[in-house]
Amino acid sequence: MSRWWLAVGVMALCVLGTRRAEAQESGIAVGSRAPAVVIKDLDGKPVDLGQYIGRKPVLLEFWATWCEVCKALLPRVRAAHAEFGDRVEFFGVNVTVNQTIERVRKYLDSEHPPYRTLYDDQGAATRAYEAPTTSFIVIIDRAGKVAYTGTGATQDLATALRTVTAQ
Amino acid sequence: MMSLRATALVAVVLSVIAVPWLQAQDSTAGRPTAVMVSGPDVGRRAPTFRLPWANREGVGPADQPYDLALDRGKTVVLAFYPRDFTSGCTAEMKTFAAQYDSLFGPEVVVVGISTDSLETHTRFASSLGLPFRLLSDPRQEVARRYASNDRSGYMRRTVYVVGPDGKVQYRNTRFNALDPSQYAELGAAIRRSRGG
Repeated sequence: MSRWWLAVGVMALCVLGTRRAEAQESGIAVGSRAPAVVIKDLDGKPVDLGQYIGRKPVLLEFWATWCEVCKALLPRVRAAHAEFGDRVEFFGVNVTVNQTIERVRKYLDSEHPPYRTLYDDQGAATRAYEAPTTSFIVIIDRAGKVAYTGTGATQDLATALRTVTAQ
Repeated sequence: MMSLRATALVAVVLSVIAVPWLQAQDSTAGRPTAVMVSGPDVGRRAPTFRLPWANREGVGPADQPYDLALDRGKTVVLAFYPRDFTSGCTAEMKTFAAQYDSLFGPEVVVVGISTDSLETHTRFASSLGLPFRLLSDPRQEVARRYASNDRSGYMRRTVYVVGPDGKVQYRNTRFNALDPSQYAELGAAIRRSRGG
């Protein structure tokens, strides 16, 4: 009997290993523990996401000034913040590629996104969350696990946020 | 009663059968899936190929495709990417263009490769002002030789640096277009290739 369990175990490892390889451009896996990376803000001050992850729900959006999809997504992010902002920590992680910090500040001045902006100039968060593209949103539950990932301008953030705030 | 070794063997065989089947069930459009091949490793000869090309000014002559073999003696960057006009690919190509001088320099040949048509390549290159050529490999034949193909129909994002001797000097089979450290790593590899 134990040999069959061994066989099942080997198969499971093979399948899991393959699924991991599939994740190259799809982002961090839902259900995995959210990495508590440290990223600077626009003033160069380090912000430790570990201070929030595992204590309250967190929403991260990976964005760029040149990302049209991010701009199109902004109304949904604003609506989500209006409804859940008192219970969920919102961060906008600027991916820094092909833009200057001045351009980021200018964008913030004109668009006023509702999140706290972080400047990932070392790519720490991009790597840790395997961000495949801009507009990539990660929602982390109160226990510190990834509850939702998605990309695009029409993401249903409210449903995911309702779930993590109800827990 | 099967021996432990036989049991493990059966498990591995079943896994080999089961994994591709599971992948096929999970292969969704636009979402790259696994490709379990290796491509040329660092130090190995880069497979030569010829592909039609376009740049920001238009489509290149059909009888003068890009030919990697003709660039022997130069450092060549092969950037396989999923699709024109998508966010990650725009980030990658815009960054290549914006940092062209510091990242590559004038004597380095850069080519982007995807499944897009030459006409789409021209529009993409023109919209971003790309100072390099884009090659069209719709059937992923070249991509397959560089382990950059994918069943989704879109290539995986990979970067190879081929040295003047025609051998792979650097490769990144998981190039993340949003990670600034990966561009720095690529730039360092190119400087090494140029002997700088």
